[in-house]
Amino acid sequence: MSHKIAVVGDKDSVLPFKILGFDVFASSTPENARETIDSLANDRYGVIYLTEAMAKEIPDTIKRYDAEVHPAIILIPNHKGSLNIGMDRVQDNVEKAVGQNIL
Amino acid sequence: MKKGKIIKVSGPLVMAESMEHANIQDLCYVGDMRLVGEIIEMRKDVASIQVYEETSGIGTGEPVETTGEALSVELGPGIVSQMFDGIQRPLDTFKNKTDSNFLVRGVNISPLDREQIWQFEATKSVGDHVVPGDIVGTVQESKVIEHRIMVPKGIEGTITKIASGEYTLEDVVYAVETEDGVKEQKMIQRWPVRQGRPFKQKLNPNVPMLTGQRVIDTFFPITKGGVAAVPGPFGAGKTVVQHQIAKFSDVDLVVYVGCGERGNEMTDVLNEFPELVDPNTGESLMERTILIANTSNMPVAAREASIYTGITIAEYFRDMGYNVAIMADSTSRWAEALREMSGRLEEMPGDEGYPAYLGSRIAEYYERAGRIKTIGSEERQGSITAIGAVSPPGGDTSEPVTQNTLRVVKVFWALDSSLAQKRHFPSLNWLTSYSLYLDDVGKYMNDTMEVDWSNMVQHSMNILQKESELQEIVQLVGLESLSEKDRMTMVIAQLLREDYLQQNAFDDVDTFTSRRKQFLMLDLILTFETEAREAMRLGAYYNEILDGTEELRDKIARTKAISEDNVEQINDIKQEVKDKMHQIVAEGGMTQNA
Repeated sequence: MSHKIAVVGDKDSVLPFKILGFDVFASSTPENARETIDSLANDRYGVIYLTEAMAKEIPDTIKRYDAEVHPAIILIPNHKGSLNIGMDRVQDNVEKAVGQNIL
Repeated sequence: MKKGKIIKVSGPLVMAESMEHANIQDLCYVGDMRLVGEIIEMRKDVASIQVYEETSGIGTGEPVETTGEALSVELGPGIVSQMFDGIQRPLDTFKNKTDSNFLVRGVNISPLDREQIWQFEATKSVGDHVVPGDIVGTVQESKVIEHRIMVPKGIEGTITKIASGEYTLEDVVYAVETEDGVKEQKMIQRWPVRQGRPFKQKLNPNVPMLTGQRVIDTFFPITKGGVAAVPGPFGAGKTVVQHQIAKFSDVDLVVYVGCGERGNEMTDVLNEFPELVDPNTGESLMERTILIANTSNMPVAAREASIYTGITIAEYFRDMGYNVAIMADSTSRWAEALREMSGRLEEMPGDEGYPAYLGSRIAEYYERAGRIKTIGSEERQGSITAIGAVSPPGGDTSEPVTQNTLRVVKVFWALDSSLAQKRHFPSLNWLTSYSLYLDDVGKYMNDTMEVDWSNMVQHSMNILQKESELQEIVQLVGLESLSEKDRMTMVIAQLLREDYLQQNAFDDVDTFTSRRKQFLMLDLILTFETEAREAMRLGAYYNEILDGTEELRDKIARTKAISEDNVEQINDIKQEVKDKMHQIVAEGGMTQNA
């Protein structure tokens, strides 16, 4: 079963992904982002790239999909630079899986 | 009269020779002390007699005299509100007469008070033709029980004399001209306990008996005329369940047989019942209760008889057209009494030493329950609902008494010690209990309450079953691994368990729940479920719903404490649930309803 890939975040950050052929959804408010992610999750999206700036506003939503297989929500920096949340999450997950921070 | 001679005494079993004139099941007077006993086996001229009183001090050579009559109970006014022992001796009178707190041997007391005067109102008049079972008159025995005097078995003919007035039990109240001459009748009649009283037709028991206990009435209902067993290990609350049903069931009369259990359980009944008010009549519960007590320190043979004494009295009131419930606590003690007698008789033991006829004896007892059409020319309907507690040793229900009981009963209320340890009372295990009357009761409730009761019950049961499946996963990998949908199921199941199934027998309001309140409470929880699921569908998160409804769930938990007069308040909470869920959806990302 194939899955689609979506990118969610502020317009300036996500537009370039269109070139790569990803589905791009611009959202300006947290409410809007949450709604978008919830509907994408129900729509066979396997990976959702989300900007860190937006992710910071909707921790509940991120947490909710942590427990689910689909979609995987991957945090990316936005055009203003990285907040390091995304990398921390990766490290947390590695630690959870391996039991030790090997990175 | 010819007398036999004792040749062997072994506990409650006495053997006597030269008894060829006696018959099996005859009542005897044993020894010089004239203890009451019953012949249970005859071999040539040797009779085996089970003695209903303590036999110490009885020796061989002492005489045995048979009465030629089977063990019988006296049926007539004065029976209600009394406490009898296993062979229908009134314990109050007994105490006054012997001036002892314990049973004194060889005392002969008539079961019913011969001196008391009763106001007899004739309902038949001279010249009327009567057959057995017809009511000739009534006596207002207690505030709620109108004792209907019935024509006894074998009397058929025309009434030649009858008049209202004040009579004692010794007075002739009416006379019937039968084929064999005029027969004078008193208000009292006798009936052998081991023989079921006749009826015209057995009917399908399909009217539910309201017990006021939510878990019983909703999930495992019993009908008027039904049979139920309550097996449970020590401390699981069998006695409390039995007491609750005795207190609050909507029957006309309750016969409570305390059979081989602790004396203080009967004391509880004696202390509590007179103070409690019957929700159906507004009178004291004692006004409709008959107690038969054979506590664990009373003679073991009388324990065997107490069950039969109880059900015969119940049958007598059933024949008057009443709905009667009989509780036996506990039938295991009764079966142990059978086993003790069987062992002393040197019979071949069956499973776990119980006699081979254990199954048929248990069936015989429970088969005397049921909803029936009475004999007599007026067709009355009456019922006996039999509820027996079983105390399986160690809580292991695979033992013979429980298994034999389960073969004949249609309702099984399995009490669970692990629930009791979690302080979940009544500790009925909803996964192992069952009721075969569920369909009949569901239909009845759908029709009378005009709601889809059976589906609500089915749905709630599904949630509880689903919860136990999910519980296994949770124990392995934790609550986090469940989907939000499943976690919601767990929440609803918790509401059902804690706010609906659990019921405090010692709380004034919670101890009894009417049918209407049961419906409203269950409806409230199910509304919460529908609304919560709808909110989730509209995008609200599990956590948001849970956080947002904390206060509301508290309110749902407290619906138990809403008194019967204010039950409609529950509808307000239901509206609140709906409003709150809409608010949660609105506050969450979704601003508009889809």
